[in-house]
Amino acid sequence: MARTVVEETLEERVLGIAAGARRRRYLAVVVGWAGFLVLWYLVSEFLLNSVRLPQPQRVAREAWNIIRGVDGAFFPEFWASIVRVFAGFIAAALIGTPLGFLMGRSEYWRNFFQAPVVVAGSVPGITYAVMSLVIFGISFFGPVLAVGLISMPYVALNVSQGVAGVDRQLVAMSVAYGRSERQIFRNVLLPSVLPFIFAGVRLSFSLAWKVGQLTEVFGASRGIGFQIRRNFQLFRMAELLAWVFLFIAFMLVLERQVLVRIERRLFRWRQWDTP
Amino acid sequence: MAARWTSAIAFLLGWQLVTLVSTRVPSPVRVLEFLWLEVSGGSHGGVVRGEFIEHFLGTLGRYTIGLVIGFTAGLLIGVLIGSSSLARALASDTILVLLALPAIVWAFLTTMWFGIDVKAPIVTVALSAFPFVVVNVAQGVRSITPDLRRMTAAFGVERWKQFRYLTLGAISGYVFAGLRFAVIIGWNGVLLWEWFAGQNGVGFRTRYWYDANRYQGFVGWVVAFIVFIVLLDRFVFARLERRAFRWRDRATDVEIIEETTMGL
Repeated sequence: MARTVVEETLEERVLGIAAGARRRRYLAVVVGWAGFLVLWYLVSEFLLNSVRLPQPQRVAREAWNIIRGVDGAFFPEFWASIVRVFAGFIAAALIGTPLGFLMGRSEYWRNFFQAPVVVAGSVPGITYAVMSLVIFGISFFGPVLAVGLISMPYVALNVSQGVAGVDRQLVAMSVAYGRSERQIFRNVLLPSVLPFIFAGVRLSFSLAWKVGQLTEVFGASRGIGFQIRRNFQLFRMAELLAWVFLFIAFMLVLERQVLVRIERRLFRWRQWDTP
Repeated sequence: MAARWTSAIAFLLGWQLVTLVSTRVPSPVRVLEFLWLEVSGGSHGGVVRGEFIEHFLGTLGRYTIGLVIGFTAGLLIGVLIGSSSLARALASDTILVLLALPAIVWAFLTTMWFGIDVKAPIVTVALSAFPFVVVNVAQGVRSITPDLRRMTAAFGVERWKQFRYLTLGAISGYVFAGLRFAVIIGWNGVLLWEWFAGQNGVGFRTRYWYDANRYQGFVGWVVAFIVFIVLLDRFVFARLERRAFRWRDRATDVEIIEETTMGL
């Protein structure tokens, strides 16, 4: 059926308003950033001396140097950090998933694990860093342990909710069709739970990164956290800030662009919204 | 109930097992022995005197002042951001960056700015806690639907009553949630600062024993600061938060666990 003139103009107007609002929002964001940079520049120029707070352009130059690999190259250090964090997430998934299964199915196990999970969520990050320091000293495994411990509660909780939501009729149907336990696990339970494992990882992502960096600051010989501490000890503010901003930008981009997309794909088979 | 006890016992057993395997990890018993000496002022190995209260009070002082500053600033900015969409658009990326900054960076920055001065840990605590308070309070302000506002206006409720019963009531739960985050993160911040640059206090003392390679001392102090913050969070702030949120429907078990694990 042909669209009426009224419908068309309405749609145009709605889109126009939406575009205007979007444009205004982008503008506000840009102004916000500009204001932040200007404020920074003014403070470093007039309030604190430029040793204490280097000007934004100096920090930008140092960041560029780091990317180019002048003194402490970007990619090897980031790679070192990523590998540790990634290993930590795998550990969190490996431990959190069976935990989540137990917690989702049984009142007893939920109570058993409630205290450790709650405590794990409320201890200060420094705890994980120092704990890894005691157990592993200066080693690759320190950050892995810290990241694993901090993500594990999130994975376990999400998996426990996912397990509760598994469609029992699907399972019953599989049993009725004579599928073996193994097949049911592989084809019904695991795909249902996989997105929740991922959601647990994604929710704890920035937290895990921060704890991983903290652990590296305490006890690592490579990685972003190590670079941050090194520049602190050398009293090089601009380099320190450059590493920090690169780290944050990297983390935000990774979380927003990469992880959200992967999660959306994993949840694609569901027709309703993600947790 | 039985599950909780079993859980605690399992943890202690696990710790003891790790002790058997590792040369670095001290056993629970040695840690308790250490803590006893430290708290009662006894002497460790006949050489070092135990010191507990002076360090704890020192840390508490800096922590509390920083917390008050960070929380108040966060409250004000949070209300501003929650009420005005312009303010939100302007500030949201900055707040995001502040949220993503690890507390350790604040500890380093404030040390460079203020040196070994009491201002440094206070500012560290304030800056670490600030963004979390802002985000929670802003969420609380935004949760007041325009319908509720119109309804109160339609019923002719005076402005101060509107503020007291509608605004304050609606945001109080979120304010307490933000306060809980601030408490945990601020504690983290002050400990970090004291570890790297302090001359006394909990963080300093923890490092003192770590540098001396006396891991029972190191772990003992870690246990002490964990116990402190967990008790503070669970028995003081979680209760306050639940009371402030009691107008909401009761959360399920899992949701309560989730809320309490949002820490850090």
